[in-house]
Amino acid sequence: MDFLAASIRIATPLLLAALGGILSERAGVFAVGLEGMMLAGAFAATVAAWAADSAGAGILAAIAGGALVGVMVAVVTVRYRADNMVTGLAANIFVAGLTSYLLRAAGQGGRPPSIHLAPLAAWPVPLLSDIPVLGPLLFDHPPLTYLAAIACVAMTLFLSRTQMGLTLRATGENPEAVFASGANPKLVRMLSVVACGAVAGLGGAVLSLQQVGTFTDNMTGGRGYLALASLIVGRWTPAGAAAACLVFGAADAFGLRLQTFGLPASSYVLQMAPYVIALVVLASLGRATRLPAAIGQQLD
Amino acid sequence: MLCAAILIALSGHNPLTAFAAMAEGAVGSAHQLGVALNKTTPYLLAGSGVALCFRAGVINIGAEGQIAVGGMGTAAVALALPIDASLPAIVLALAGGALAGAAWAALAAAIHLGRQVHEVLVTLLLNFVAALLVQQALAGPLGEFGAGFLQSPRMPAAVWLPRAIPGLDAHPGFLIAIVLAAALSFLLWRTRFGFSLRVAGASRPAAAYAGFSVAGLTWKVMLLAGALAGLAGGIEVLGVHRRLIEGFSLGFGFKAVTVALLGALEPFAVIPAALFVGLLEAGALSMQRQVGVPSSLVAVIEGLTMLFVLAATVRRRAA
Repeated sequence: MDFLAASIRIATPLLLAALGGILSERAGVFAVGLEGMMLAGAFAATVAAWAADSAGAGILAAIAGGALVGVMVAVVTVRYRADNMVTGLAANIFVAGLTSYLLRAAGQGGRPPSIHLAPLAAWPVPLLSDIPVLGPLLFDHPPLTYLAAIACVAMTLFLSRTQMGLTLRATGENPEAVFASGANPKLVRMLSVVACGAVAGLGGAVLSLQQVGTFTDNMTGGRGYLALASLIVGRWTPAGAAAACLVFGAADAFGLRLQTFGLPASSYVLQMAPYVIALVVLASLGRATRLPAAIGQQLD
Repeated sequence: MLCAAILIALSGHNPLTAFAAMAEGAVGSAHQLGVALNKTTPYLLAGSGVALCFRAGVINIGAEGQIAVGGMGTAAVALALPIDASLPAIVLALAGGALAGAAWAALAAAIHLGRQVHEVLVTLLLNFVAALLVQQALAGPLGEFGAGFLQSPRMPAAVWLPRAIPGLDAHPGFLIAIVLAAALSFLLWRTRFGFSLRVAGASRPAAAYAGFSVAGLTWKVMLLAGALAGLAGGIEVLGVHRRLIEGFSLGFGFKAVTVALLGALEPFAVIPAALFVGLLEAGALSMQRQVGVPSSLVAVIEGLTMLFVLAATVRRRAA
């Protein structure tokens, strides 16, 4: 029971980042910058929530922070037509350095200021949270977890049922056709990458505002890359990515459980689990994974 | 640089004082220059390997893990060797590191080629596994009992790399790295293998049409880059820390990519690129000590430089 709840908790930031990544990749831009977008979101959320003493300000700042990284990636990849993968990595390095630098610059004598925020409290849903077993599992979470679930459904509908979603997907598959239909595929890609940053930034806010209550250097610790793996495992669909994130979350939660029970398995081997599972699943899907046809291709 | 100056000014320091401290820290004394050269070495080794991979169109982001595993390999060999003679022991230990790095790269190549998983994802995920693997080894067979940190016992003095460059506090790794970078440059421009790499990087179908096996090339270039990164890890262990330490390779892999790109994927040009980053880092550390400007500024500068280089080079190609 706790175990399942822990899986959901760990999966939440991954899911938001993966949903952002789906927007970017479906439009044809590899989302390697997810890590930096999450980190920027986590940082902006912490600073804004601390400065304004308001979690709402933190959440808005996370969206803005992630989107800013998205703007950077979008300009370099779409406008200047640079390699998607390496640009994403460069953005990640830049954000990791910048957040660490700004945090120290804001404090005294090169030390980061000590920021302690109360992690966002759970919002039990009235009535539903009283259902035995399912209630505490599904309807007793902090707000951003519900937001992630809602975003997952909304994204599915957006991609499959709206004109904009169709244009976005077409841009990732056949940008010439989008151009012929009168839309601007470059603009679609840029907007998608910025939106990706905003959503991934929210994923970062889950870490800093909802789970830890402060910002530490490089606090995303590779979650952006796991999110990237999960959206591929989930075949670029929101529901698939959600399932993959839950599996990674469960692997992590399982490791934590074993540790608390003092089983002889080593903690380091257990921490490898999410990465190893990601590799195994990716390898077993193998050729079956079909990338959006025009992903990574530069537009003239 | 301008962006960096603005950031420093924003944090309430005088950019000029900070840059002066940075320059002082990078080349101000023989000792400082030695520190900078030691910092340069792993970036140059791993970076020229990465440059070769990128040339062939293989986006190998796995240098970080290959360096970590290489350092572990070197430490394991050095601690297990019963030899007292210094030179053979060093050579064997470094060979162990290069072999371990190549093996880790081989794992990535096998998953990438065998199962058609994108190499960026494979190498990235393996980086995390490698870091944990080193921690696991340090918590177990390679660890020093009761040290409080995750670290190995000190390496036997016979395998320490001497402070060999006269007058500088640097180990000979930098010289090895320069020789290897020059050799790789020759390999890339003057051999059939180098030509096939460049063809494969420019166009996969063209390479296949010319009769080059793209899979075979990917294997070779990954093994080569893995061995170079493993060697970098080994030199770091024997020359700088003299033990295997948790997280010693943190961030090295991305720096290797940075210098490879700065050096325009040309191993010979990676030398000044790696020196630039090495000097920047040595300088930033002393800037932090003396002026109080956080040294994470270096990552900001590196990331920005990389983004500018990416934006600029592609535009040139398009023009």
